[in-house]
Amino acid sequence: MEILAGSLSAGLLIGMVFALVALGLTIIFGVMDIVNFAHGEFLMIGMYTALLTAHATGVDPLLTIPFAGLVGFLLGVVCYLGFVKYLIRGPMVAQLLGTFGLMLVLRNLALFLFGSEDRTIQEGILVGKSFDLGMGIIFPATKLAAAVLSVISFIAVWLLINRTRIGKALMATALNAQGARYMGIPTERMNAFAWGIGGASVTMAGALLVNFWSVTPFVGLLFTMIAFAIVALGGFGSIPGAFFAGLIVGLITELPGIWDFVAEMTGFDWMAAVPMTSFKYTWVYLAYFLIMLIRPQGLFGWKH
Amino acid sequence: METLKNALDFSDFPGLDLTLAASVAVFLMVFPFFPHSSFAMSTLIQFLIFSLYGMGWNTIGGYGGQVDLGKAQYLGIGAYTTAVMLLRWDMPFWISMPVGVLFSVTWSFIIGYPLFKLKGHYFAIATIATSLVLKDLFEVWDLVGGSRGIEILAGKYWTPDFLHLIFKGDTYYYYVILGFFFFGILFMNAFRKSRLGFQLRSIKDNEDIARSLGINAHWAKIKTYAIATAFVSAVGSFHACYVKNIEPEDTMSLDISILIALMAMLGGAGSLWGPIIGAAVLVPLKSYLKEWLGAQAGMVGIDLIIYGAIIMIISAAEPRGIWGMVEKARRRRKN
Amino acid sequence: MKKRFTLVLPLMLVLSLILVMQTYAVETIKIGVIYPLTGGAAAEGRELRAGAELAAEIANTRIPEIKMDMAKRAGIASMGGAKIELIFKDHEGNPTLGADLAKKLIQDDKVIGIMGCYHSAVTKTVSAVCEEMGIPMINDSSTSPALTNRGFKWFWRTTPHDITFTKDLFDFLKGLTEGKAMGVPAISKAQIKTLAAACEKTEWGSQVSETIESLSREYGFDLKKSILYAAKSPDLSSEIRSLKSVKPDIMLFASYASDAILMMKTLKAEKAHPKMIWGQDAGFEAPEFRSTLGDDVIGVLSRTVFAPQVGQVKEVSGQVNFLYRKNMGRDLSGASARAFTGVQTWVEVLEKAGSTAPAAIQKAANSIFIPGDQLIVPWKGIRFAASGSDQGQNELGSGMIGQYQKNKEGEIVMEIVYPFDVATAKLIYPLKGF
Repeated sequence: MEILAGSLSAGLLIGMVFALVALGLTIIFGVMDIVNFAHGEFLMIGMYTALLTAHATGVDPLLTIPFAGLVGFLLGVVCYLGFVKYLIRGPMVAQLLGTFGLMLVLRNLALFLFGSEDRTIQEGILVGKSFDLGMGIIFPATKLAAAVLSVISFIAVWLLINRTRIGKALMATALNAQGARYMGIPTERMNAFAWGIGGASVTMAGALLVNFWSVTPFVGLLFTMIAFAIVALGGFGSIPGAFFAGLIVGLITELPGIWDFVAEMTGFDWMAAVPMTSFKYTWVYLAYFLIMLIRPQGLFGWKH
Repeated sequence: METLKNALDFSDFPGLDLTLAASVAVFLMVFPFFPHSSFAMSTLIQFLIFSLYGMGWNTIGGYGGQVDLGKAQYLGIGAYTTAVMLLRWDMPFWISMPVGVLFSVTWSFIIGYPLFKLKGHYFAIATIATSLVLKDLFEVWDLVGGSRGIEILAGKYWTPDFLHLIFKGDTYYYYVILGFFFFGILFMNAFRKSRLGFQLRSIKDNEDIARSLGINAHWAKIKTYAIATAFVSAVGSFHACYVKNIEPEDTMSLDISILIALMAMLGGAGSLWGPIIGAAVLVPLKSYLKEWLGAQAGMVGIDLIIYGAIIMIISAAEPRGIWGMVEKARRRRKN
Repeated sequence: MKKRFTLVLPLMLVLSLILVMQTYAVETIKIGVIYPLTGGAAAEGRELRAGAELAAEIANTRIPEIKMDMAKRAGIASMGGAKIELIFKDHEGNPTLGADLAKKLIQDDKVIGIMGCYHSAVTKTVSAVCEEMGIPMINDSSTSPALTNRGFKWFWRTTPHDITFTKDLFDFLKGLTEGKAMGVPAISKAQIKTLAAACEKTEWGSQVSETIESLSREYGFDLKKSILYAAKSPDLSSEIRSLKSVKPDIMLFASYASDAILMMKTLKAEKAHPKMIWGQDAGFEAPEFRSTLGDDVIGVLSRTVFAPQVGQVKEVSGQVNFLYRKNMGRDLSGASARAFTGVQTWVEVLEKAGSTAPAAIQKAANSIFIPGDQLIVPWKGIRFAASGSDQGQNELGSGMIGQYQKNKEGEIVMEIVYPFDVATAKLIYPLKGF
């Protein structure tokens, strides 16, 4: 029972963390149909920002989150105005190509500036703490904080889009950019804003995650594929979709634990021999593929 | 007969293109006779390999507009089939390659049917997903060596072995893959003028209209996907003999899938010369930048920053890649 | 403008002539060294490179104070004092690229031999190229046992392989139950009987995993859980929980750097408390491992071939370590010490061969014996098996098990706890937990 409770709780927790990372990707996609290959690199930049700021000023890494958000916002806006603007004229292949180039540049710039060593934050309120709730349920402090931030950001973004004028303008741009322009909505500025928000949300996530994860220039790579799967599973551009898809993916990555539980309950020896952990991410992709067969537009998708 | 005529007919290209193409072809054919470094040789072989992958990708990704980011799985199937058949039953390459293609195409039909119900980005991510699932399966499959993979030891063969395609020098491999390369160009030339080619382009332009014209879009895409697969799988078999070492992590990684698409896109998706130009630019760019500015020279990252920046500039300047730039310049001169 | 150009041109010509003359003045022997200078293992690559460079420096200049034959000569004496030149290439952890680089080194740069490559998977392809071309390769740092099982005639390995290392672990555990460990009374076997292992799932890790499985059976330990995991993974909590669920006394790992760090952090976050944690070198020995995890590494065991503490027992190790510290600002690690030893072996082989002809090198390598007192690593020496199932393997190498401990100055250092007779500190047992 402990195994099951532990796995389920950990799955939901890491799911919310993954969802937080994927949020920025789905915002950007929702507004302008572009998949950002450099998304993980934004996360990496957020992590480095928090780490270096905390080291330089000596403040708790938690306090660097707003600053990281600001950096992310500016980065997003600059990327849009300086580069992505020219990409969205072209077909999907050009966008993939362009953001892939952006990814290479950002990653290797970090490699050039910071070197390839792993770096971590060793002091902070969240660092190295975790809460044991019994029943095998353990919440590492950083993951818990990230989950909380995840819920808050999702609600905030949802409110922004559904309850404010800016949100309506974003929505209009997303649905029909030309029509929105005729209505006097500055679509160009809306796109830049979406990139800013998307960038800020992911760098803030990075600034929080650095309390637990160590950062290298390659760290983005690990999260990018998961974020892609989540955004696609939830339906590209869907905000609630990304959240629930994150939870699903989180639970799937904890399948080994659930499998262990079933093996223990049923006492089947062959089950214990299956190398479940080798397949940890296989299940994620397989589940994505299978769910897509039933819902080709993703769980909450509203457009292709 | 019609197909053969189509394959050999390049008359819709301007004379300049053909002269250039012919001189490049001549250069490629005589290159090994001139003194060269082995680095230049292996770079050229990589160029040929990747232009072939790119040609395969171009059928479905370029002409069909379906961005496929999972080509490495077919590379893996081809390479593994050849390696396993060679080591277990001493099968010649010329038998194991078609068998590999058969496996790949079968697999492509199995996953292609559901895959092409998806559109756009959903399709792209799904191709990545299938490729990674297959890679993970190969990593635990003992018959193919699991994550340790398969190694072909050349010492056991009496080289040059044209039957099993085991050679000591790169020159032999070069000519084999050059043969593939010329065949690939002829094939692509026939393909773009074939019925399927036209169907595919009309689907890319507007799928609804294509459907209303009575084109079975789903089936046309699956068929094209199988063609793309056959290309990649055949070259994958060659890859097994050339590199002589196959591991899931190395042969079937996402990087390879993306690189294949990247080269074709950069050169110009949906044109005959695009994938070749893309590979001709990116392969040498990457290896020579690494040589001059990479970590070996004490400058970690600079080479890939430049590489990435060039990709960014090209994609922002002209969405249709380098070939798009050429066409644009031509049109401007005409006007 | 033009005038200045006419001035500059001859100047440059003269300059380049001088440069050319200089490079041809002393005969150099080129050895190609292929390491992961970028990519996931770049930090280890830098260590390796620094170790190899230091060895070449010592070989090329006369430093009589160092008690090592190589240091007393300047260059290769049997070849008229020819200098060693190392040409570094970067394989990024990619086996196909590694093979390409080997071809380039051999055919374009005309190296007389190859050294490398850290990743076993890359060493595999590179050694195949060398075998095909009849060029000698000395492998300094790859530990997959399969590498020397292929009957290659041009491949020699100085480092002990994973079977030796894993055997050390079980001998260490056995010794623990017999009360041989310094500072710890005999522990009953029941207390350390259950094991759980997590190894990364490529060539190296999967091989370690198999070795652990067979040896635990042989030594009568109970391996309750053995998992393979993807090193490039954003989260390892399910793996850790899977290990934790069998309540093992000892947890065994084979991890690269980033995943080793994430693994330790997750262990702490998930409040796992095994009595011992043992890492199979690599990530557990990387400099970042201790710099990022700080006090959390205290008590963690790792197999290694070198610890600066060896300097207390061996003078030559201390001397070389001093030089390395001067260059790099930190102590030699298992990686850099092995790279150093690899180059040293090359130098001695060339000295014995007296020629750069491959056949002469092959003959010299097959009959070479470098006594243990020459080496910075605590081995009995270097002598390669000339035939048999482990052809080319150094028969005299041995491993150590180190434990991270805090010394008097409050620095975290790796103390030697096995072999028991050279232990430098009392064993911390059990792990005090996080």
